[in-house]
Amino acid sequence: MTTAALTAGLERIPDQLGYLVISEDGVLASAGELENDEHTAGVMMQMVRTASRFRLSGSVEPPFKRMSVILDDFVYTVTVSGQKVFVVKRQNNQQEPINV
Amino acid sequence: MGCCYSSENETSEQDGDRNEERKPLIPHPNPVSKPPNGTDFPPSSIPSARTDEQALLSSILTKTAQNIIDVSAADSVMMEQHEYMDKARQYSTKLAVLSNSLPQKKALALPSLTSQPHQVLASDLVPYSDVQQVSKIAAYAYSAISQIKVDAKEELVVQFAIP
Amino acid sequence: MMESTLEQHLDDTMKNPAVVGVLCTDQQGHNLGCRGSLSDEHGGVVSVLAKQAAALTRDPTDTPTVCLESESGNILVRSHGTITVAVHKIAS
Repeated sequence: MTTAALTAGLERIPDQLGYLVISEDGVLASAGELENDEHTAGVMMQMVRTASRFRLSGSVEPPFKRMSVILDDFVYTVTVSGQKVFVVKRQNNQQEPINV
Repeated sequence: MGCCYSSENETSEQDGDRNEERKPLIPHPNPVSKPPNGTDFPPSSIPSARTDEQALLSSILTKTAQNIIDVSAADSVMMEQHEYMDKARQYSTKLAVLSNSLPQKKALALPSLTSQPHQVLASDLVPYSDVQQVSKIAAYAYSAISQIKVDAKEELVVQFAIP
Repeated sequence: MMESTLEQHLDDTMKNPAVVGVLCTDQQGHNLGCRGSLSDEHGGVVSVLAKQAAALTRDPTDTPTVCLESESGNILVRSHGTITVAVHKIAS
């Protein structure tokens, strides 16, 4: 897939505020609120590495297809495909902030 | 007689690699041959006239002396602030030298979580009720933890009846 | 006994039919208690994930929830003060 083909699909994701496509070597593409956001790219790469060490007993594969980081106003949705990390920042339209 | 270490010597020779790892990074400048409290029972000093029973007793005493950490003598190994800093510097220099000779560990390849990243990223977000539920569980767990108090029932340091 | 408060809370959490595992860890990844599919070995990853996620927001009052999602279920991770919990929920 070309970079243009990769990002065209990301543009169409509902409520997306921005995205990142990251490889081992760095940021391949970025847009919107995540444009040139090296900090978020770095943290997401670390989190993917941490989360991919997670195994449920008896399983050899990581037990997830997507990782989400949910904040009050937005959600980062992250996945890995073909040695690339995809991060999409989506608006969190669900109800008010959580008050515990 | 006085050969209670023979088996230990054998194992440490066979286990050369592990022995190498346990070797101090920086050799002690003036090695202490005696335990801090000065009680030692060198096996070689046992006269051959002694009975096996006495030899056995000596070896038990030696073993016991080695297994005890005398906390009352611990202040004798206290280091001054500058000594501590010197040591830290020596160790970090030594480590830097050693780490250069280690093979570079390559970062693990990224896992493949999906073959359809766009669909996966576009699918519905985690239900708000689930996020709310885990927040509540975390808050309750925190308040439960805050109530834990340490209730030590046994002494951590044992006093020996030393004559 | 005071310790049983957390144990009781973990037991109560497991009573929810969708919950198949729960874990509570401190900031260093030391396991404070766990049930079901989540065990000692997961404490480290859970506490590190929560710590890394906190770097994504500058607002200290906006605590992130990390969720590892699959079709069969989700593992949700959330910190509160000095502790982090993980809850494994299966799809209903």
